Amino acid sequence: MVNELDCRGLACPAPVLQVRDLLSSEAPDAIVVRVDNDAARQNVSRFLEHQNYQVRFEVQGNEFRVVGTKGEGADAPVESSVPGSVKKLKSGTGKIMILVTSTHMGRGDDALGDMLMFNFLKTLKEMGPELWRVVFVNSGVSFTAEGSEAVPILQELVGNGVQVTACGACLAFFHILDKMKVGEVTNMLEIVTGMKDADSVVTV
Amino acid sequence: MTSQTIRLTQTVKGAGCAAKLSPGDLDRALCGLDLPVDPNLLVGLDRADDAGVYRVSDDLALVQTIDFFPPMVDDPYSFGQIAAANALSDVYAMGGTPKTAMNIVAFPAKTMDLSVLRLVIEGGLDKMREAGVVLVGGHTVEDSELKYGLSVTGYIHPDRILTKRNLQCGDCLVLTKPIGTGIIATAIKAGLADQGVTERVTAAMATLNRAAAAIMQDFSVHACTDITGFGFLGHLAEMTVDSGYGVRIKAAQVPVYPEALEWAAMGLIPAGAYNNRSFRGSFVEFGAEVSQRMQDLLFDPQTSGGLLIAVAPGDAEQLVHALRTGGVEAAAIVGEVVAGPIDRIIVE
Repeated sequence: MVNELDCRGLACPAPVLQVRDLLSSEAPDAIVVRVDNDAARQNVSRFLEHQNYQVRFEVQGNEFRVVGTKGEGADAPVESSVPGSVKKLKSGTGKIMILVTSTHMGRGDDALGDMLMFNFLKTLKEMGPELWRVVFVNSGVSFTAEGSEAVPILQELVGNGVQVTACGACLAFFHILDKMKVGEVTNMLEIVTGMKDADSVVTV
Repeated sequence: MTSQTIRLTQTVKGAGCAAKLSPGDLDRALCGLDLPVDPNLLVGLDRADDAGVYRVSDDLALVQTIDFFPPMVDDPYSFGQIAAANALSDVYAMGGTPKTAMNIVAFPAKTMDLSVLRLVIEGGLDKMREAGVVLVGGHTVEDSELKYGLSVTGYIHPDRILTKRNLQCGDCLVLTKPIGTGIIATAIKAGLADQGVTERVTAAMATLNRAAAAIMQDFSVHACTDITGFGFLGHLAEMTVDSGYGVRIKAAQVPVYPEALEWAAMGLIPAGAYNNRSFRGSFVEFGAEVSQRMQDLLFDPQTSGGLLIAVAPGDAEQLVHALRTGGVEAAAIVGEVVAGPIDRIIVE
């Protein structure tokens, strides 16, 4: 099903909002958006990429056709609805998302937990290319901020193409928003859609 | 329509400084014009700066500037405050003291209640009072869209003019407000910004650069500009090009509104940001670690943005400390002036 949207004559942010409304009501596999200025072309492209569409565009005179298609797998049906089940993946093709919810790993002794968590982050790279995104929430966000020994470890992950993100509201809560040293600020919407897009989510 | 229910951003096409004519178009329009010459014109159009400076006597010069734009927030009083703070900022960026102002207004009298106009001007007056500026007059025309701003005149000592063009090798670059207001204004217009972020950013845009300008007088500052419609990198490029030096920026140190990063990724980017990028992008080199959305933010047109100050390296930490303790909490060292590559901005 291809949906075509005519956004010619509209100034930003109207084209993005129209595309957003269409995606939320119909979730098409493919979408064509016609725009008549380059800012709208780039904004619509960014939005579609953000929604996990593959995007290309065609120039027609003074107009653009932005074409978005769902990548393979992105719209594949979820195999199982049994809670806790994990889809079996072919090695090297899955996307693993790690959700770090505090500064220590497990319950019992927090000092031990701190050490374990640090070791965990240090060892994460052994997951290889399947490690897709590491998300820090609650007190876990402190790993991304100035003063944390984990910063160089996370920087190495970023260098390897892993997305490192930290919850903006949490950074603000702990007053370290301006001290963030690695990764990108994220929000709950992105965390939740990330969970949907990931092939498996590991919470620690 | 009453002032209680009107959403000003829904009545206009462009928003705030994002509505600025693209810099390339402006250069083309002005190129080759025969400009009057006067030895007392210390800063004029030939080397365009934040404001013009005209020498009256050996110890007094006038700083003059004008700025006006369509609303980027929905509340008329806040819009007036922001437009006035934005216009006054050019005088502060030159190191001057604003003294008098005139309102410049375009008003859609057929479609908008006059109470809106009153609130806008009240907001402007509030900032003029705070700045110690007296309103001496104004001019209002009827137009299809609301626009408001000020023409401001200030005093400055002819030997203490701070222009964009005096970078020294090794200088640290200090920015005094977070960036991202153009993207956030776009999100406000889209109805996606919640009240919290709208209020926070509105307050920041309405904040005068007066405190920052006063504090920097005590340090060895070599150059200064304010960040407005051309975006952080656009204004930085004006400082860098023809300076004989290059600039290195640490993207992670640049203060930003985190919400703007999210909305940039969603494509809520004003057209002005793309114009700025196509006009100045060739001077800028991004490291692989600088994300697309951060790049967009660095070109985002700002309304009433902060000062960008080039300060001697030995003074930089103290300047930032003085700014932060003086209420300019976002102040941060964002980069440095380097020997080369000349005229290039490297963002890493």
